[in-house]
Amino acid sequence: MSILEYNGAAIIAMKGRDCVAIASDRRFGIQAQTVSTNFQKIFEMGPRLYIGLPGLATDVQTVHQRLQFRLNLYELRENRRIKPKTFLSMVSNLLYERRFGPYFVEPVIAGLDPKTFEPFIASMDLIGCPMVTDDFVVSGTCSEQMYGMCESVWEPNMDPQELFESISQALLNAVDRDAVSGWGGIVHIIEKDQVTTTELKGRMD
Amino acid sequence: MALADVCGLKTNQLKNSFLSDFGGSSTHLLDDALTSTTNFTVPYGIDPVESLKEFTNPKSDVKIHFDHGTTTLAFKFQHGVIVAVDSRATAGPSIESQTVKKVIEINPYLLGTMAGGAADCAYWERVLARQCRIYELRNKERISVAAASKLLANIVYNYKGMGLSMGTMICGWDKRGPGLYYVDSDGERMSNNIYSVGSGSVYAYGVLDSGYRYDLSVEEAIDLGRRSIYHATHRDAYSGGVVNLYHMKESGWEFISQTDVFDLHYQYKAEKEKK
Repeated sequence: MSILEYNGAAIIAMKGRDCVAIASDRRFGIQAQTVSTNFQKIFEMGPRLYIGLPGLATDVQTVHQRLQFRLNLYELRENRRIKPKTFLSMVSNLLYERRFGPYFVEPVIAGLDPKTFEPFIASMDLIGCPMVTDDFVVSGTCSEQMYGMCESVWEPNMDPQELFESISQALLNAVDRDAVSGWGGIVHIIEKDQVTTTELKGRMD
Repeated sequence: MALADVCGLKTNQLKNSFLSDFGGSSTHLLDDALTSTTNFTVPYGIDPVESLKEFTNPKSDVKIHFDHGTTTLAFKFQHGVIVAVDSRATAGPSIESQTVKKVIEINPYLLGTMAGGAADCAYWERVLARQCRIYELRNKERISVAAASKLLANIVYNYKGMGLSMGTMICGWDKRGPGLYYVDSDGERMSNNIYSVGSGSVYAYGVLDSGYRYDLSVEEAIDLGRRSIYHATHRDAYSGGVVNLYHMKESGWEFISQTDVFDLHYQYKAEKEKK
């Protein structure tokens, strides 16, 4: 079994009108066995900046911790919040440093610019190649299933309610076709003045 | 064969050319089972075990991967046998189906479960159904569960080493009462009160063992079977879908219910919160 499939995960981020959404499943499993159904894979890196980390669970936690360390130093030196695009480069740099012994995570970033509140989503492979898109990004063991779902439900300029509905349906139906991800879901809708977090009621098998 | 003898039919013409290379056959009953497989085409003069090794060797490029991702269980109790199965089929991490029928209805008083290769289970249990019917016609009485399971075990034993993958439980009710046998493609055949087969069996056993008593009522037994499969689907990634539940009674089997584990999860959660 591939290392990226050892724990199993599913993350989606979508762009809407003046908002972004990021969603993940909640399973922590070791191959076939499900150990926990409330494992955190999306981390808040700023008031309107979130990163989703699918892949090997130990690297999910280590990358988050090392990234937090670098981000703290950045904010102390610059005395301001980081822009999503700059954060993308920071993550890319962290991953490429380990080019010949990589972290087994393929991050997804979603956020709003701290000054202009412009929506931003991006994803990366495990050695830090960045990809910025205007619609949606997916990452995880069921990425093919998620691509299919996103292509069907995404449309441009969705408001926060429509975006929530689309991203939730995309995630739940994709993980229902993957044996190693699922067991619940969590969605963050990031708008200019608030972040709404909702837990999804999904299949627990 | 009685009718064949009366008619003067020469049975050696029907001998299966597939196995004639092994030289000499065994008992009459085995012959019978063997001739039912004359439809397998194999080139002459080769040793099937050797040439089929490539399909079972993990290091080979052409290994046929059977997914044992499943949870099936069956247990005997005072009112018969409860058979409960999940319904998921996976190919690697991808879920191919959530609606697979893993209980095979051999005849109105015999059930078989499916674990391992679906085609292997479905095919050989259908061959078993044919053999059971022939037994019934010849002996004017139903075949016992012990005999039926032995027929199946002996049939697959001939293919041992050739890559069949089958882990089945044969359940029925005969003169000796409720019957439950575990038969697999390694040639294993055992009888006991409780069995669970598949990747999720470890979770099902936990729940089954803590709730099992021989003197359960029918409702309690049905609930136990359903609950055990649910817990297995929750923890095992390769089991899931719906729980198909059958009850084997003296008068034959009865299909009890098909319940989605999604509903079961929230139902059990609500029950826990009420306490």
